[in-house]
Amino acid sequence: MLRVENVSYSYNGRRGASDVTLHVDDGGALIALAGPNGSGKSTLLKLIARVLTPQRGEVVLDGRSDWMAKEYARHVGYLPQESEDVFTMKAIDVVVSGRAPYLSRFAFESESDYAEAEKALALCDASYLAQRFLDEMSGGERKRVFLARVLAGAPRLILLDEPFAALDIAHVQQFSRLLRGIVDRTNSTVVFASHDLNWAAAYSDRMIVMREGSIARDASPAEVMRADVVRELFGFEAHVVDRWVVPPPHPPSAPSPPSPGEKGTRT
Amino acid sequence: MGEVALKKGVLLLAILLVAIIIAAASLGAAHVSWRSALSGDETARAVLIRIRLSRVIVAALIGATLAVAGVTFQTLLRNPLADPFILGVSGGAACGAAVVTALGLGRVPGLVPVVAFAGACGATVAVFLVARRRGRTDTTRLLLSGLILNALFSAIILIAFALAPASDMSSALRWMMGSLAGASWNDAILLGAMFVVATTILIFIANDLRMLAFGEDDARAHGVNVERVKLIGFGAASIVTGAAVAVSGIIGFVGLLVPHLVRLIWRRDYRFLLPLCVLAGPALLVASDTVARIAIAPVELPVGAITALLGVPFFLSLLRSGR
Repeated sequence: MLRVENVSYSYNGRRGASDVTLHVDDGGALIALAGPNGSGKSTLLKLIARVLTPQRGEVVLDGRSDWMAKEYARHVGYLPQESEDVFTMKAIDVVVSGRAPYLSRFAFESESDYAEAEKALALCDASYLAQRFLDEMSGGERKRVFLARVLAGAPRLILLDEPFAALDIAHVQQFSRLLRGIVDRTNSTVVFASHDLNWAAAYSDRMIVMREGSIARDASPAEVMRADVVRELFGFEAHVVDRWVVPPPHPPSAPSPPSPGEKGTRT
Repeated sequence: MGEVALKKGVLLLAILLVAIIIAAASLGAAHVSWRSALSGDETARAVLIRIRLSRVIVAALIGATLAVAGVTFQTLLRNPLADPFILGVSGGAACGAAVVTALGLGRVPGLVPVVAFAGACGATVAVFLVARRRGRTDTTRLLLSGLILNALFSAIILIAFALAPASDMSSALRWMMGSLAGASWNDAILLGAMFVVATTILIFIANDLRMLAFGEDDARAHGVNVERVKLIGFGAASIVTGAAVAVSGIIGFVGLLVPHLVRLIWRRDYRFLLPLCVLAGPALLVASDTVARIAIAPVELPVGAITALLGVPFFLSLLRSGR
C-alpha cells in the first residue's frame, strides 16, 4: 500500500528524517514507531501524512505519488500529538469535520456523513460524548473524540503521533485496546509513534525503531526487546523482564543518560 | 443537528436587523415621517433617504465587514483576541491619513480615504512579508509582526500629529475615533461592492478555512492547501477592512465582539458563523451609531466609544464566566 522511498527532510539545516525507506502493506496491523525524542518519528509521520513535503525521495501510495491532496487524505488519516480546539464545539460536529476530504467546495455534511461520524464515535467507545462540548471533557475523552474524527474519514492508513503521551496508565490500556479493536474491525493499518519503548512493544505487531532521523531497526517487538538490541539502539544496559525493559538493579558501570524509553513500572 | 435552531437564528437576526434599520432611519433630530417621504415630500425624502438611510446602510455595511473580518481573523489565527485590526490594518490606514493631514492635504476631497486604504493594504503586505519564512507564514510571527508594525505606525502618527496644522487636527482625531457622520450613498455603493466580493471569496474557501481552526498540520493532513487559504483569507478580510476604515475611520470592538456574541449562542464552525456575523455585525453597529447620533443630540458621540461601552461589560462577563 505505502512505500516511503529514500525520503529526507531537514528543518533549515536541522535533520528531521534522512534517507528513510519503509514499506507498509494493506491488511490491518498495529505498527509502532519507536525511538527517543528527536529521532524523527513525528517528521516521518508528517511526511507520510503529506503535512510536510519530502525534500528528497518520495512517498508512494498504491504505486502513485501524484495524488490530489484531498484524494490522498481519504486514504491516509493523521492525528497530531496535540489537537487544537480554541473555539469549542460539540463532539459530533468535531468528528464530522473529519469528512472534509469528501466534501465538495460548497457542500455541508450530509446525513450519511453524520452517520459515519456516529459510527466512528461508537468505534472509539465515545457515543455518549456526541452532544458534549470539547471543553467539558477530560483529556482521555478528547483524545477519543479526535481519534473518531480521523476514523470518520475512513482511512486505510491511520497515523497517530504519540497517542499515549498525555494519558495516564489506565487510559493507555483502554486506548491501546481501542486501537487493536479498530485494526480488527476496519482492517486498516495503524502506525503510532511512541517514545515509550515498552508501550510501543506491548501494543504493536511490528516495531520500527528510529534513531537520528533514520530507521535503525524494523522487526517484531520480540526481536527488538532484547538486552543486546536495546544496548545497541539506545545505548544503555537494560534488563529485559518478560519483554519489558527495566533498569538494572544496580547502577550500571558505564555512565549513560537515562533513556525516555526506560520504564520501571509493570502493569 | 441543531440546523433548525440555526435557521431560526438567521431568520431572527434578519428580522432584528431590518427592525433596527427602520428604527434607526426613523429616529433623529428632525421629525419626519416615512409616509410624507413616500408621498413625495422633498424635505422628508432628503432627510430620510439621502441623509439618514444612507448613513444607516453604510453603518450596516461596516458592521458586517468588521464582523466578517473579525471571525475570519479569529479562525485563521486560532486566537479569540484577534480583531480585524490585529495585523496592522488600522495602524496602516491611520498612518496614511495622519501623514496626509500633517502635510496639510487633509482637506483635498477624497484624498484621506484613498491614502488610508492604501496604508491599510500596504500594512497587510508588510506584515505578511515580515512574517513569511521558508514559504510558510507562522501565525505567532504574524501576530508579532502586526503588533510591532502597529507600534511603528503609532510613532509616525504621533509625529504627524505634532506637525499637523491645528485646524486640521479635529477632523483627523474624529477619523481616528471612528465616525459615520457624512456617510453618503457613494460610500455605501463602494463599500457594498467590496463587501460582496470579499464575502463571496470567503464563502469559496469557507470549507477549507474552517479546518484551520483545528491547527495547520491537521488541515494539511485533510488535504487543505493551508498557505493558499491563509493568503486568500487574510487578503480578502484585510482589504475589505481597509475599505471600511477608509470610509468610517477606526471603529473598535465590533470585529472582536460580534463573533464572540454569535459563538456564545451558536458554537459551530466558520461556515455557520459567517452568515450569522453578516447579520449580527450590522445590528450592533447600526444600533450603536443611532445611540451615538441621538443620545445627546445635536452633539454626536464617537460611535467607537458606544460599541466599546457595549463591549467592555460583555467582555468582562465573558472573562468571568470562564469561556
